[in-house]
Amino acid sequence: MVLDPMSTTQLRDLLGKHAELAEQLLGQLSDDRSRLPVLFPGLPRRFGKDPVGGGRRNFGDAIVDLDAFRTCDLAAAYLSASIEATSEELVDIYAHGDIEERAMLLRSLSFLPLNDATQRLLIEVLRTNVMLHLEAAMCDQNVLARAIAAGIVDLDTGNRLLLKFAFVDMPLARAFDAETFASAELSTMLQDLATEREAAGRSVWCDTWRMLGRAPCPGALARLIGGLEHGDDQVRRAAAEGLLLLNERGPGISHFAKERLGREPRPAIQDLLRQLTS
Amino acid sequence: MLIFEPHIHMFSRVTDDYEKLSLAGVRAVLEPAFWLGQNRTSVGSFIDYFDTLIGWERHRAQQFGIHHFCTMGLNPREANDERVNQDVLDVLPRYCEKDSCVAIGEIGLDDQTKTEEKFLAAQIELARQHGLPVLVHTPHRDKKKGFQRCIDIVNEQNFPWERVLLDHGNEETIKITRDLGCYSGFSIYPHTKMDPHRMVSIVLEYGVDSFVINSAADWGVSDPMMVPRTVVKLEQAGVPRDKIEQLVWKNPIKFFGQSGRLEESMLAAPASANLRETFEGNSVLRGQDPDKM
Repeated sequence: MVLDPMSTTQLRDLLGKHAELAEQLLGQLSDDRSRLPVLFPGLPRRFGKDPVGGGRRNFGDAIVDLDAFRTCDLAAAYLSASIEATSEELVDIYAHGDIEERAMLLRSLSFLPLNDATQRLLIEVLRTNVMLHLEAAMCDQNVLARAIAAGIVDLDTGNRLLLKFAFVDMPLARAFDAETFASAELSTMLQDLATEREAAGRSVWCDTWRMLGRAPCPGALARLIGGLEHGDDQVRRAAAEGLLLLNERGPGISHFAKERLGREPRPAIQDLLRQLTS
Repeated sequence: MLIFEPHIHMFSRVTDDYEKLSLAGVRAVLEPAFWLGQNRTSVGSFIDYFDTLIGWERHRAQQFGIHHFCTMGLNPREANDERVNQDVLDVLPRYCEKDSCVAIGEIGLDDQTKTEEKFLAAQIELARQHGLPVLVHTPHRDKKKGFQRCIDIVNEQNFPWERVLLDHGNEETIKITRDLGCYSGFSIYPHTKMDPHRMVSIVLEYGVDSFVINSAADWGVSDPMMVPRTVVKLEQAGVPRDKIEQLVWKNPIKFFGQSGRLEESMLAAPASANLRETFEGNSVLRGQDPDKM
């Protein structure tokens, strides 16, 4: 797949005062591209880790959150994109990279062609629960949605990446447009994880209730209604929000919401319950 | 008192050791790349080991609030092995650039062969190219002669002495190194090499300038708690607290800080300790609930 030349031009512009340094390093790579893995680990030291800033921005069909991107991430993307790094080169950097190198590489994916490397690196994220890497791949850009749309990554892999959020207890709201991934299949996976956690006496990811409301699966309604009586405020709130998200709410739900309303101590949850009774 | 343990092979220690070190005030450890007890037969084994030092081992340390740094290098014993020596030298440049790599080491001499000398010199040059100091392992056998040969090679390479840490020193070697302007490391062992009482005597006689102490704990009979134990002995001997702090905290940070990749301010807080995190799917919890740890 041919790289969009606009990407490197825009990246150079975003690098601002650091563009000259990036050009110097690119010159080294033009002479000897085998230096890419030698240059990569030093990028945070050379370019710094200050956030670029500027919120969400489109680069073709890629959307990146520049508030999460750092100057070194842009430099990594610029160098990789400019030399049209091969899948083998990118995967090698990830395999032998430290935590920062891996984060930079994952953030670079929005500026690189969607291909075999995209798929292999997203699958690596499935195995690596380092928060920084999950955030880089799942929160800071829409690369997963693009990879699924392009058929590079299948839906099951997407579901398992979302399930990782539940596994490490990261809020769903942090995932880039996560609600678009809601499906009965994902809800079933979340329901199974919740059951397993409860059997072990462990806490359950609160966003489970919200996802179940968005895309119900067998058992979802019982869990949602049961959540209204949970001892944890966060779970009761998530359950009420999940029930509000249900497309079809039968009269039974209103009954349980009314029953809870008189005993609910939290005003924010009371408001949600009132909506459920109306 | 905070402690920087400047030479410990956590690769060969159990996770409990990290917890003990943390509770004893060890805020940071430095893990030099070394010999694993048996020779490796291909460069791939070195690559996997180097990846462990920058990846899993850092993660494991962080779970207990400990910052993990490392040195990269071809150890002198395997420098003699033609199956791996040149290939390892060829892969080192990318590892020398890793953020947590703050020196080249352990390099030096063991059997004191010509091949060891060749790779010692080559790695001193590598340190120069990457702006790193060097951690030099000095021989345990025929020590005085080997110590002197290490010094000769550093001089032949015209490498600045303030960027050299000559490790595994003792009362004999102090006299050789004090005028060089290098750092001297003392490995405190339970039964061999230097022990806490001898170290107290050295500090009382020579002070602490340019000295560091370490446990050099590895897969052998060794004790990762030797630095905290020695701190207690020093306090009992009446060594002022600021001198002890210089020995076990300021000096190692100053030496390895010459890499430009380590500052005291980076160690102001414990390393992030999110027990929910795993590394490549692997957790130190083994299924236990992080909320109950």
